Amino acid sequence: MKSRTRIPTTPLLMILPSFLLAMSIIGYPILDLAWTSMQEVSRFGKMMGFVGLVNFSEVFRDPLFYSSLVRTVIWTVAVVGGTLIISLPIAIMLNDDFYGRGLARVIVMLPWAISLTMTAVLWRWSLNGRAGLINATLMDFHIISEPIEWLATAPLAFTVEILVGILVSIPFTTTIFLGGLSSLPQDSYEAAVVDGAKPWELFRYITLPLMKPFINIAIVLNVIYVFNSLPIIWVMTEGGPANGTDILVTYLYKLAFRFGQLGKASAISLIMFSVLFVFTIAYVLMVMRQEHDSADEEVKHDA
Amino acid sequence: MTFSIRKAMAASALAVGMAWAGSPAYAKTQVNFTVAEYSSKTGPYFEEVAAAFEKENPDIHINIQVVPWDTLLQRLTTDIAGGQAPDISIIGTRWLVDFASQGIAEPVDSYLTPEFKSTFIDTFMAPSVIDGKTMGLPVAASARAMLVNTDLLDKAGAKAPANWDEFYTTAEKLKAVPDTFAFGLQGKEIETDAYFYYSLWTHGGDILKGDGTSGLDTPEALQAVTLYKKMIDEGLTQPSPTNYTREDVFNLFKQGKVGMVFTFPMLIPQIKAEAPNLKYKVLPFPEGKAKATYGVTDTLMLFSSSQVKKEAWKFIEFAYKDEWRTKFDHGEGFLPVTKNVAAEKYYSSDPDIAGFAAGLPYAKFAPTIANWEEIADTTVRALQQIYLGQAKPDEALKAAAADINKIRSK
Repeated sequence: MKSRTRIPTTPLLMILPSFLLAMSIIGYPILDLAWTSMQEVSRFGKMMGFVGLVNFSEVFRDPLFYSSLVRTVIWTVAVVGGTLIISLPIAIMLNDDFYGRGLARVIVMLPWAISLTMTAVLWRWSLNGRAGLINATLMDFHIISEPIEWLATAPLAFTVEILVGILVSIPFTTTIFLGGLSSLPQDSYEAAVVDGAKPWELFRYITLPLMKPFINIAIVLNVIYVFNSLPIIWVMTEGGPANGTDILVTYLYKLAFRFGQLGKASAISLIMFSVLFVFTIAYVLMVMRQEHDSADEEVKHDA
Repeated sequence: MTFSIRKAMAASALAVGMAWAGSPAYAKTQVNFTVAEYSSKTGPYFEEVAAAFEKENPDIHINIQVVPWDTLLQRLTTDIAGGQAPDISIIGTRWLVDFASQGIAEPVDSYLTPEFKSTFIDTFMAPSVIDGKTMGLPVAASARAMLVNTDLLDKAGAKAPANWDEFYTTAEKLKAVPDTFAFGLQGKEIETDAYFYYSLWTHGGDILKGDGTSGLDTPEALQAVTLYKKMIDEGLTQPSPTNYTREDVFNLFKQGKVGMVFTFPMLIPQIKAEAPNLKYKVLPFPEGKAKATYGVTDTLMLFSSSQVKKEAWKFIEFAYKDEWRTKFDHGEGFLPVTKNVAAEKYYSSDPDIAGFAAGLPYAKFAPTIANWEEIADTTVRALQQIYLGQAKPDEALKAAAADINKIRSK
């Protein structure tokens, strides 16, 4: 057994210093967070003593935590799903050669260059009921007769925030997809066209399967970013009205910096970290198993 | 190669050395002062005070850090947690109890000479006294009042209201004027609760009852909120108040689109600059069972962790000289906190400022209690639920009162 899988020690030893450095940079904040979450923390961040899991039990008894959790799931699924559905066709269009493609690519990427907070501030102004650009435009075109108060009620405000979330996630996702598309082998397409495949079939049976790894990356990274994203909701509604648009991260921000409950906020933060950690591991495992299965299948076919 | 590296290192060493020599950190005592930004004038004003002070005291250097109000508490929280607390800071008096109970604020009684103490107006000194100890000095004060657009009132043929019944009938008349709203009601973000307290206090209620429990479950509170809700439902306010912050409501007023708002004195300089043709009048809040206004003070606090308390205090005494206080209060549109400035003719002759100052004898202050921000947020949540029609007024208020009592452990 030992002789069969002899571990090469020298390369591992050479990796060790940078591995330790990376782990201390990544690991220390998490350990510190875990430590803080089990302390009674004063309003100004002073540790007042070990309290075990009191902060966690307080979080789990808080109805606002659960409603924020549900909303976080809706927010993440809707934003990531919407982004993927819109980004893939955009990437395919931008991958085709057409006059002015460079310009079109720049335009799609532009929102990325603006800070998320600035984008959110801009939308907040545009969506203002009386002075906003959106209502003014819609009324000029006689689409609506009365101004709509976009951010006055939670369901409408949350929908609008999801749409803005999708908009700002598109550039990043499109970039991943464009990279993927340009690396696809052209000969598969040529062969399929010779065999008489229609454009939809090309997309369904060649593009989509070959793009799978890129779609997976886009899903994992977007879920992590969107799940943790504070600025859009915070700037537009601060989680209001009546906590109706609070997601975990806005709720946690409020707890930590408005109410000074740093212990409870650390507990929520740690819970969020575990959720993301479990999701990422589970997703990566699932993807790996799928690839493994399809590889097996190919072997069988070959046989 | 080696030569160029050595040269670069020598150059950077020289640069560091020069920066060190040129830095005022070298011999002077450093006093760090965090200033809350009231307006664009705040930073330059305090820089000017500091420069004048340093001229008289060349051995002390004042480092001014201007921080916007919205992030001030978060900034101080992280500074304190990181052991980087300033020596003095302007804070909202409503936070003082948290600072004091954590031992972060330094009691200033031993520094406060009787002469210096006597310069302050007692009403404004009182909120900074916690358990018999003076934990800070009042630095800014304002009282709230009602502003009416007199042009709109004339158009509607209505007169300025003195009590809530008149307020309601005036609103009904104002509603008839096209393209305008009768009453600007705030329903979003900071001070949404204050807009309700105006009504609560004048209806005879209070934030806390005598026994320290929440006053939201009283008939007065219900009456106060029901009136607002009724006005929303009858179209006497702008539609969907939960989309309107304090600034949004004030903007409507500046545009001449709303007849009556409740506001602070700092709106007056804004109106003069942005809407000079607007005809308005400053009036007391409509009376119900009681006369009331909201008095708000900010506090200048000395940190217990400071190593340079003596020098910091020297600067504080300097900054409270009449000439500086006059400049500050006039510039920012505040009411004076010192007797000498209050005695100026300006505060009785200027109709706008006098209108706001008139409320001071019966001004109510936010109670100095722990966890104030959380209590305010609970109140705002209940109000928004009521304004949106998500909850019945009495149920929402009772639930909020129960939550607040839990926060206060009463």
